[in-house]
Formats: sequence, C-alpha cells, structure tokens
Amino acid sequence: MSVRALWIISHEKGEQSSIKFSRRFSTVEHRAKSLGGSSYVAVPEDNKVLQLLLTELGLSDSDKSYVALRDDCLYRQRSPALELRVDGQEKRVLWPVLAMLQGPLILACLPLVDAPPEPRPPLANLLSVSQGLTLLAGLHTFLLGSGSKPDNEGLASRLAMLPSVLLQVCPLGTPLDVPLLGTSATHTVHTPAGIQKQPAWKTGLHRGRAVVNVSVMETVRSMQYGNRSRQDLWDVYGTVTCKCEVEGVLPNVTVTLTLPPNGSPLQDILVHPCVTSLDSSILTASSVDNCDGSAFSGPYKFPFSPPLEPFRLCSYTSQVPVPPILGSYQLKEEENQLRVSVTLKLHESVKNSFEYCEAHLPFFNRDQIGVADVKVSSGQLDISKEKNLLVWALGQKFPKSREVTMEGKISFCGPTPGPTDPLCTDLTAYIKLYFRVLDMTLSGCCVDQHSVQVYSSAKPRIVTSRELQSKEYFIWNSTGTAPVSSGQMML
Amino acid sequence: MAACWTDRIDAFSRSPSRFLSGTTAEVFLAELLRELRDDRAGYSVLVLLLSPLCEHPTVLCPSDFVGEETALELMSVFTQCPPKFLEFRRHLLLALTSVLICTSCVSNRSRASQDFLDLLLEIGQDVSDIHGDGAFRYLRATACDCLREMEACSPGILSQRLELLGSLRQRETSRLHQAYAGLHTLVLRNTVYQLTQERGACAEHLKALLEGNTSVAWEADQDSGMVDNTDSAVLSSLILGPMGTVPTLQTGPDCKELRSVLSSLLEESYLLTPLCQAALLHRLTEVVAMVPGVPPAVFRAELLRLLGTSEVCLLHSILLMKCAFTDSLFSAEDEAFILKRLVVLSQHPLLSTPEKLFYMDCILHFPENRPISCDDGDETLPVLLTPRLASALVPTVFNDSTTMLARLNLLCLVYLEEGEEGEGEEGRGVGYLYEHLRSLLHIVENRGSREIVVTFFRAAFLFLFYLCHLERFSNSLTEKLCELYLHHTQLAPHLINLANQTQDRLPDPKWAVGLLEALQKVITEVPLAQLTLQNLCWHLKTLARVAEEGEIPQHRTLHFLSSIITPSSSSLCVSGDWRLGNSVLGVCRRLLVHPSLDSLLIPLADILQHLACRYGDTDVQDHARLYYTLLTTLSKEKLAGVLAKEAFEGGGQVKKRSLSCIVTESEGLTSTLTIHHTEKEIFKLVEVDPESGGETQTNQERDLNPSEMKTFPDQANTAVTAYRAQFNNPDFASELTLTYQLTHAGACDSRFDQLFSIRLHFNLTDDHYEKLSDISVPCLFREKPSPVLKLRLRPRRPYPTTLRASVIFTTQDGLSWHSNLPDIHVSFQQAFITVPVPTVWGRGSKLHLFEGLWDEICSENIEEKKLADCATSLFCCQLKEAALAALVEKHFLPFLISELCNKEEFKVLFFLPPQSHVLLKISSEEDAVHFNIATDNWQLLSHLSSYLLTITCAQEDARS
Repeated sequence: MSVRALWIISHEKGEQSSIKFSRRFSTVEHRAKSLGGSSYVAVPEDNKVLQLLLTELGLSDSDKSYVALRDDCLYRQRSPALELRVDGQEKRVLWPVLAMLQGPLILACLPLVDAPPEPRPPLANLLSVSQGLTLLAGLHTFLLGSGSKPDNEGLASRLAMLPSVLLQVCPLGTPLDVPLLGTSATHTVHTPAGIQKQPAWKTGLHRGRAVVNVSVMETVRSMQYGNRSRQDLWDVYGTVTCKCEVEGVLPNVTVTLTLPPNGSPLQDILVHPCVTSLDSSILTASSVDNCDGSAFSGPYKFPFSPPLEPFRLCSYTSQVPVPPILGSYQLKEEENQLRVSVTLKLHESVKNSFEYCEAHLPFFNRDQIGVADVKVSSGQLDISKEKNLLVWALGQKFPKSREVTMEGKISFCGPTPGPTDPLCTDLTAYIKLYFRVLDMTLSGCCVDQHSVQVYSSAKPRIVTSRELQSKEYFIWNSTGTAPVSSGQMML
Repeated sequence: MAACWTDRIDAFSRSPSRFLSGTTAEVFLAELLRELRDDRAGYSVLVLLLSPLCEHPTVLCPSDFVGEETALELMSVFTQCPPKFLEFRRHLLLALTSVLICTSCVSNRSRASQDFLDLLLEIGQDVSDIHGDGAFRYLRATACDCLREMEACSPGILSQRLELLGSLRQRETSRLHQAYAGLHTLVLRNTVYQLTQERGACAEHLKALLEGNTSVAWEADQDSGMVDNTDSAVLSSLILGPMGTVPTLQTGPDCKELRSVLSSLLEESYLLTPLCQAALLHRLTEVVAMVPGVPPAVFRAELLRLLGTSEVCLLHSILLMKCAFTDSLFSAEDEAFILKRLVVLSQHPLLSTPEKLFYMDCILHFPENRPISCDDGDETLPVLLTPRLASALVPTVFNDSTTMLARLNLLCLVYLEEGEEGEGEEGRGVGYLYEHLRSLLHIVENRGSREIVVTFFRAAFLFLFYLCHLERFSNSLTEKLCELYLHHTQLAPHLINLANQTQDRLPDPKWAVGLLEALQKVITEVPLAQLTLQNLCWHLKTLARVAEEGEIPQHRTLHFLSSIITPSSSSLCVSGDWRLGNSVLGVCRRLLVHPSLDSLLIPLADILQHLACRYGDTDVQDHARLYYTLLTTLSKEKLAGVLAKEAFEGGGQVKKRSLSCIVTESEGLTSTLTIHHTEKEIFKLVEVDPESGGETQTNQERDLNPSEMKTFPDQANTAVTAYRAQFNNPDFASELTLTYQLTHAGACDSRFDQLFSIRLHFNLTDDHYEKLSDISVPCLFREKPSPVLKLRLRPRRPYPTTLRASVIFTTQDGLSWHSNLPDIHVSFQQAFITVPVPTVWGRGSKLHLFEGLWDEICSENIEEKKLADCATSLFCCQLKEAALAALVEKHFLPFLISELCNKEEFKVLFFLPPQSHVLLKISSEEDAVHFNIATDNWQLLSHLSSYLLTITCAQEDARS
C-alpha cells in the first residue's frame, strides 16, 4: 500500500520532455526487493525511466512513423498500469507504472506489489494501485489546479513546494492524504483539547458567522444525427458543490435534493467521503439498469460533516426525456460550393435566458472559405476564413418562436488548404453548441434553502444556486455519414 | 555554497552512478555528514542534504556497518539541532529510518536501530505540546510515520508495544490520531499474523498483547524475535482472491478484546482521510480474515457509506473486503449492485481516464461470491455481466485510445461468451464491434494521426485475438486491410507486425498466413505504371515477409520481381538505387530458403543473374552474384544452413559486409563456408600467477592506520553478523576468477601464426560448477604478447575439477578452424579466495571475524542444520620454525589474518565460494607443527588434507 517512486515530467508540445521532480522511497524499495525475490526489478535512473515511459506512452521519436518498441500491436492494450521494459526485454519489466497525462505534465508513480509476483496479480488485488491513482490525481490538482491551465510561474513555485508537501502527504512512500490547495503545508489553527476527535481531513476550525453555499451544476451532452436509422443521444450529469463555514469540530449539516413531481430519479449517485450515512434507496437507481417507474425519486438527504474547503458533495446522472436544443443540420454539395441549412429549436421546458449560446460550424479537409453567403434568422454570424469556421452567436435569447435558422452557400476557393480532420471527410460534418443557462437544471433537481439543516447554535446564512451548461453537444450533418454509433443503440 | 550543494544534490539524484564516477560514495557521505553539522548553510540546504540519504541510502552506505555509523552520526545531529527547526528534524527522522531499514540494521536489531526506535517511541509519547501551538505535533506525526515504516519493513518489531500504541491512539484528539491509527492497525495486523505462525498460540496470547500484559504474554516468541525476515509472506497482502489462503488464529468465538479494538477503529475510520481509511480497512479486513472468531459483520455498519463513495481507493477497499469475505458479508443483491456500480464508474463522465480504466480492470477480475473458475490472474467475466449491462461500455471513436482498447477488450469477451451460448444472437454484438473497427479504419484511411494508426492495429489485434474464428468478419478484415495497404503503403511495418503477432499469439495462426497471401496478391497485381520508388520499397518489404511463409506459393512474387527489374517494363532498376536493390535482394534471400525452392530455381536464378549483370549498383551486383553462386553451387540443405544463421541474427549491415568479402574470391567459396578441423594443438592456456600483490598490499596500508580500528567491527559477533549480511545478495562473492594466458602450442606452423576471432568454449566434466560462458579473443599473434583471459567459475561446490576446452578461430587466409585445447585442471587451492570482507575493514576487524567464525564452528549450540556441516580437525607434520614461516609466506600469505611476524600462531582463513570457509590455526608445538582446522563444510576436509600434505612435503623436500 505504498509507492516505490514518483515522477513529475514536463511534456509540452515542441519541447523536449524532462523530469521536473522525482522521489524514490528507499524503504518501500527495500520491501519490494524482499517481496519480489528473483523477479525483482530495480527502478532505473531517472533519464532511463523518462525514456521508457515516453516510449510506452507512445510519445517518443515523434518523427518516426513506426518504432517497434513503441508501436507493437501487442502492447499497452487495456490496463491503466504500464509496463516499462527495462533492457528492452520482456522478462525484466517494471510494473505497474501508473501515469497520468494531462496538460503540460505527466505524473507517474510505481506502486508496490504486495502480493506474490508470479503469476502477476490482478490490479484489483493491489490496494496500492488505487492509492497511487488518488495520489497522482491529488498532486495533479495541486500543481495545475482543477482547470489544468498551464501557468508556468505558479507551477514552478508549486514544484518547489513539493518536498515539504510530500513530507505531509507521503513521507515514506505511503500516501496519507492529497495535498490541500491554497493552504500552506504547516497550516495551524489552534484546536481546543476536547473529547471530540478532529477529522484528519479538517485542517482547522472555522470561527465566525456560519455560511453554507450549495450549488447544483448540470452538464448536458448530446449527439444528434437527424437520421431515422440512428437514435439521437443525450445525457445529463450533475454535481452538487458545497462550501460550508460552520463552527465546531464535527458539525452536522444536511443537504436535501428534491425533484419536481414527475421528475425522473437521480441515478448513479456518488458521494463525498464526508457524508456520514446514506439511505440505501438513494443508491439504487442506475443508468445501466432498466428504468423502473417505481424507483425512489427523492427527497435525497445527505447528512455530512463538512471540511473547511469547498468540496463536491455528490454527483448524479439523469435521464431527461428531451434534449434542451434540438438541431437539424443539412449540407449539400453543389458544384463548387456547399449549401448549408440549419435549424435549432429550444425546447419549451428550458428557460429562454442564456448566459451565452453559440453554435460553431467547422469545415475540414477543404480549401479555405472563399465566399460565404449565409443568412441567419437571429443572432450574429462571424466567419473566420483562416480557421474555416462559422461562429453563430445566438445571444441571450431565442426569438419567441424558440426556433432559429441559418441558410446559405459557402464556396471553398481560398488560396491555401484549411484545417484537416480524419473524422470529418466529405459530408461528415458537425455543429457544436456551447451554452449556459443560469438558475435552472434539466433534471429539475434543486436544493431548497430551507431544506439545508445546520445543527449549530448560530443561524447560518444559506445560499443556493443552480445552472446548466453544455459539453460535447454535437449535431451531425444528416446528409453525411455520422462517424459513430453508440452503445445505447443496442438496447 | 548553498547553490553548489543544490546542484550537486540535483546531479546525484538524477544519476547516482554518474555522479559517483567522479567521486566515491565514501567521500560523498563524509562530506554530507560534515556539512550537516554546519548550520551556517541554512536549514533549507540541510534538508536538501538529507535527500540522498533518504532516496539512495544503500548507495551511500554499502554495508550495515556504514549504515550503523551514519545513523549514529545523524542521531547526534538530531539531538543537537534546536527544536525550532522542525522541518529539518522531521526530515532527519525520515533519513534515519531510510538508512537503518535499507542497510538491514533494523532487521538485525542493531544498537543504533534500537536506540532510534526508543527515540521515536519517546517522541510519540511526548504530549507536552498539547497546549502549545501544535507545531511539535508534526514531529510526533513524523515519528509515527517512521515507526509505521519500521513495522512495515520488519513486521513484529513493535508487537510488544501494541497496548501502548492503542492507548496513544485513543488519547489523541488532534488530527494526529490518524497517524496513531495507521500505526496501531499495522502493528495489530502483524501481531495477529505472527500469532498465526506460532504453534500453540491462542486467544490468551492475543488478549495479553492487547492488554499490554507482556510479562505473561508470549514468552516463547521473545526469543525467536520476529517473524523470519526471509519470509516475504508477512509483507504480502493476505487477500489474494480465490486461490489465496489466509493463515488463521483459532480463538474461539469469544475475543472481546479484539472486537472492542476493531469496533473502536472502525467507528473512527470516518475521521481519516480516504487514503488512510482505505489502508485501515484493508488491514482490518486482513485481521478479521485471520481470526475466524470475529464475524465479518463487524464491517457492516460502514458498508453503505463506502458503497456510495466517489473515492476510488475506498471503493477498492470494499472490493478487497468482498474478495476476502464473499457471501459471509455480501449478499447476491450486494454483488449485483457492486458490479453495476463498477460498470457505471467505468464510464462516468466525472472520473479521470486512469480511474475508469482501473474500474474496467476490476470488472475483469471481479471478486465473485461463487467464482466458477479459480484461474488466478486471468481475465474472466463475472457471470452477472450480461451483454445488456456491458453495452454501456461499447467503444466509440470518441474514446481516447486506451479507453477504447479497454472497452473493446471487454466487449470482445462479452460477445465471445454470448456467441457460445446463444447461436441466434451471435454476431449482432460482434457485428457492432466490427463496424467500430471499420470506422477506425476509415479514420486511418483519411490520414489519421500516428496514434490513431497504432490504436487501430491494436484494436484489430484484439478483435482477431478473440473473434478470429468468425470467418465472416476476419475474412472481411483481411480484405479491408489489403485495400488500406494499397492506398497507404507506409503502413507496411504495422501490417507485418500484425501478421507476426497474430501468428504467434492466436490459437490458429492461419489468419496471418491468409493476410500475407492476400497482400502478396494485391501487390503483385498493381499495374507497373503505378509503382513509385517509395511504395515499391514498402512492397518489397512486405513481399520479403510473405516469402518467409513456407505455405505461400511464391510464383507471383517471382513474377513481380522479374517484371520490375526488366528494363522493358519498368524503369526503376535502371536508376540503380542501392536501397531498392537491397530490398529486392532481401526478398531473394528469403526465397533461397523457401521450402518450394526447387520449383522456383530457374526464375530465381534468372532474376539474380539479371541483377548481377545489369543492376546499376556494384554492391547490389556483388550480392546478387553471391546469391546466384550459392543457389547454383550449394545443395538445398547447405544453402538453408548458411542463410538460416543469417536470418536468425536479425539481419544487419555486418553480415552483408562479410558476405561481400567472400564474394571477392568466390572460387574458394566452399572452403570458406566450411569449418576445418585440426587435431594439432594450436593453443594452450597457461595459468598466470594470481598473486599480483594487490590484495596484501591493501592490507598493509590498512594496518598503517590504527585509528580505523576503532570505527569498524570491534567484536567477534558483530563482525560475523556484518560479514554474513553481505551474503543476502546471492551474487556476492560467488565467483572465482582464474587468470590464464592464451599462447601458441606445439610446433611452429606458419599458417597459424596470426589468428583472429578466437572463440573458446568450455565444457564441464562434473556438476560442481555452473556452466561457463564462451570467451572471445580478437586476435593472437605469435610474436606479440599473449592475451590474458579471465575464466570466471561459479562453484556449486568448491571441489577440484577438470574443464574441456575447444576453440573456433579464423586464420589470416579467411578459413575457419576448430581445434581442442589440453584439459584444464582446476586444483583445490585455486578455489581459495581471500575472505570477502567490506573493503574498508582493517586487519583488526578481520581478526574479529576469524575469531567469531572459529567460535561459531567449534561451539556446541549452533543450529542443527549448520552443525551438520561444521567440523574441526587437526593436521600435523614435522617442520622447522623457519620452514614453517617460509611455507606460510609462500602459500598462505594472501589468506593470513594474523601478523606474519607473530610466529607463535598463524591464523589463516580461506574462503571458498559460494559459502564455505576453512580456518587454520598453525602453531609449532613440541612434537610437531599443528594445523588446527575448522570448517563449515566437512566435505572439504579430504581435499584440504591432501593439499596440506602436498605443500608440507614439498617444503620438507625443499629443505632436504
């Protein structure tokens, strides 16, 4: 239940990858040696590890189209654990190396295999693997923030903090916690000696007015084909984020989620570890199950004792009957130009008040746009000829009819070829929608201010909010071949 | 100063080996320790200085002894460091832990490690900070971490403190209780494990330990110390799936004390971070699994909270619990629920890719309540995973590569089973997967990125691996791949790789041959006008691979080759491109060893002849001529023999060059290709005196420095322990190196004056030694100094032996020869080497070692197993004092432990690899010279006796 070594590698496009930080845990290595016996493989030096890791991740020799060690069709097929072939042999393998590749960094660690090495144990038997994953994810969030936006100065200073951070969270190779954001390593708040034990995940105590902030954020994804043979798909998932400033060592708070009378039940509920107890009925609904009309549909009560920092109390998925915006997209090839026809309809159940709403129409594998003669019934159209992209800003509101259209012709006769994409050839093309609506959820899920209970002396201020946003919201051209079908087709 | 250290430490961490090539570990360690005492550098630099000791303790402290010394130094730095430099003190504790554990000081329970353990316990119990600012608390937390690591590496070391640790945990109300809980749980787990290994241990013992009643508890175990360290089972997780067995402790149903500890730990588990909570649950799962008296139901209260968790490690601990307790804790409904949960998590939009992959892996190794097969390690589908359930995981082109492959793998397994069960529905699911493969192929066709290409071939391999028997799909795939290849010839290496791997790994390798044959067909049907130099090279590469298949007729290939080299139909060969020519030759070479060569002979000869005469590149012409000659001169078998060797070596420039050399004198081809044998003795091996004096000299140097005597083992038993510890490494001192000169033997024969590429091969005549590897010598000239060879022998038993040697070499005229060498006799005394003590030891330490070993062999109460091999003996002979001194100086000097000038008693220690010792105390008594012998391998006595007889007789003869 420990890791033998940890690496943080910078990997930015166009730059040579290098190890920014590494740590070997010698005592864990000592255990690995006795556990491994004759099949023990020592951890090579950093430069060697870097080279092996890049090969295994398919990132080495990017100028060569085929490298046997990197591209063999047998390697790297399914598990999250990589094999580093030390000496290039199949026998001497460093396993299981976990790697997380996100943004400009690669984070990797080597968990200890605390099981007989032969035959190779399944990952499911090694607790160190899930612990390693948690550690890597925690370090990643610490280094890059949850947005994973590169910020070089901040990154450098946080890398410099790693030795003292690891002293707290993983002093001898056994991960104890994930680094906390924003709090210094030696965050101390005087804690009175009381009978109640302070949770290890609570860095100090809050003093002052009690404030509880609960926000529900739903995300909708969609694939619309406009084609009888292909079923349109959409799904919704939500997260409930809390920030609780409440006095006491282990204060009790309860948040209740409610659905409208005919709302479909919340499914796949996952809760934060600070939730103290759960009713089994809350967990029963599952998106991979038959939808049972009699299923429990709330109210969903989550009693918990909050940590100091903001946290995700729970997440859920929901099956809503209709997508918020239904689109149709048709392209026709006419001589040297493309005839475009788009209709977008806002469903009546959706609040017609957007923070923003944009439709992007990219065109790939063609010459640059020459002339675009396109009219829209509402909103503004911006044509970027360099990117072969039409951006249709719909603004804050759909018209009263809740329907907008775009018609027109585009000719591709620019001097240079536009962007390419292997997926979108010929008439395979899509519209991608970006929108955000405040103060609504598709599932109807909400947190009533009065339903938030805080068991403490002072009366807390309670703030709740909700919003809906889109992600991966695609409308495919119905006259072309859509590149995908999905599993739900089979149901 | 500080910057300099930052750079140096950085350089060391990046590559210890390169860093130490510029200095030595000893020097660097000394520098570090000196610098650590100098606080002018500032504590942040001092923290940095500790990192080499934390990360690479064994590099800096190669022996236990150095580790012990270093630990003592660090502890003194710790006591002198002002308390306010908290972070430095915490790092010091970590460094101490690393050094002591990794140099085996902890497992040997050295003094320093005992002192350190006491220090840690003292810090752990010190609650004087309870009203302070809490900073000191962090030192306590680190002390707990160090204690936990020591217990983890030397299980049982804290068993006697179980009660103390429990009460410390109970008392702590700050966040620190987590550190105590982790420590307490681990010690509890190891203690219970230890009791399961003790014969006769029962509930009473456990109770006594839990209550801290150590005076009564478990006396027997005090002696045997802890669980044997060589047994790694204690370090291993006890929850290993259906095949794993858990040792059990019979306690009867009533173990109140244990139950109360467990429930208190579980009750507070909520207060721990998810990582620590998961570790705690895992350890407690192990404890409950070992004690059948405690029902798994103790976990029930926590289950629901954990089943709903979003934390991967907490859900994982539930899976491990399920693995350990199956239906005694989880009902069939629970099982169905957990599996559904895993499917949901495997595709949850809020989880990271590695987490999802992990959950998918867990589905394939799902701990079922009633597993059908006990096949450990293999991927099997849980019975409850229906195609319907799995359909949530079908791959799509929007997945990232690894997710897509993992899903494909899982779905292939699902549909494989489905196909076997319901014939009617078969193919629908597979049909979907095949469609998916085609979508990928479509992307590859549209110039998808390199990653997509690689992913596609991996997906194709997976599909074929499971579903190749469905010919409808596999044949169609062959067809699609051929089309793909024709438009994208640069994919040839991928296709060849796919063919190779499917041929190797698929139950039926037929598909690969089919693919290659289809590729041959499409290539040979390409209109010549469409060929470019670029794609022709890929075609030839592919055809070369096709030509390796004996089953595939090669007439099409030959026809293709002949059409591309004929100027009338193609202009490609006129250009005389060297690479192209070589590619054509590559195909020809494989055709030369094709089983159907007889039917290919004439067209192939035509092609080769054409190349030899007309091709626009001389090198290619030369090669072609060689192949032509080989084809027309050699029998089929011989040809196969000559060329097969080449193919095995992997095909490289070197061989081509050597073959080019041969071509220049093609008349002598047959003799060049034959190895000649000679009965004459061409070589012999002459033993070189191994006493180059290096060893004894260093001893003398050591003796000059009396201060060192203090710093190295100063007691017989510590010396023996430190010495023995070196043998934990099985390779330690396991080799004998015998040095020989290779010289000409026999009468002068000018043909053999200059010899090249000499390869000596050795055969054993008995099984006392491990097999020897061949030795290569680049050349041997009669008038130049003879090369020196080092023969490395690894004895199984260090007895005299005889080696047979043969040699293959090349003479100046390019002919190869084989010959035998005279037998090599390895005498008993050649197996002696000086005792392999750490290089820093002086004579004093060696003397202690000698005494220690002597006492051990002679003492009565050593373990039975060792005793059986130990023996003492006495050998007497008549020698004058001077003769004795001469004898010792002549034969024993390198092995002499006592001073040469000390003529009263000579102490001699022979070490014989792998692990035998012969100790001699030689003294002149009134009647004769007594050789007192002690050895830990009695079987050596007879050899020793004859050896002593020989040398003493020789000495007498010399005198007379």
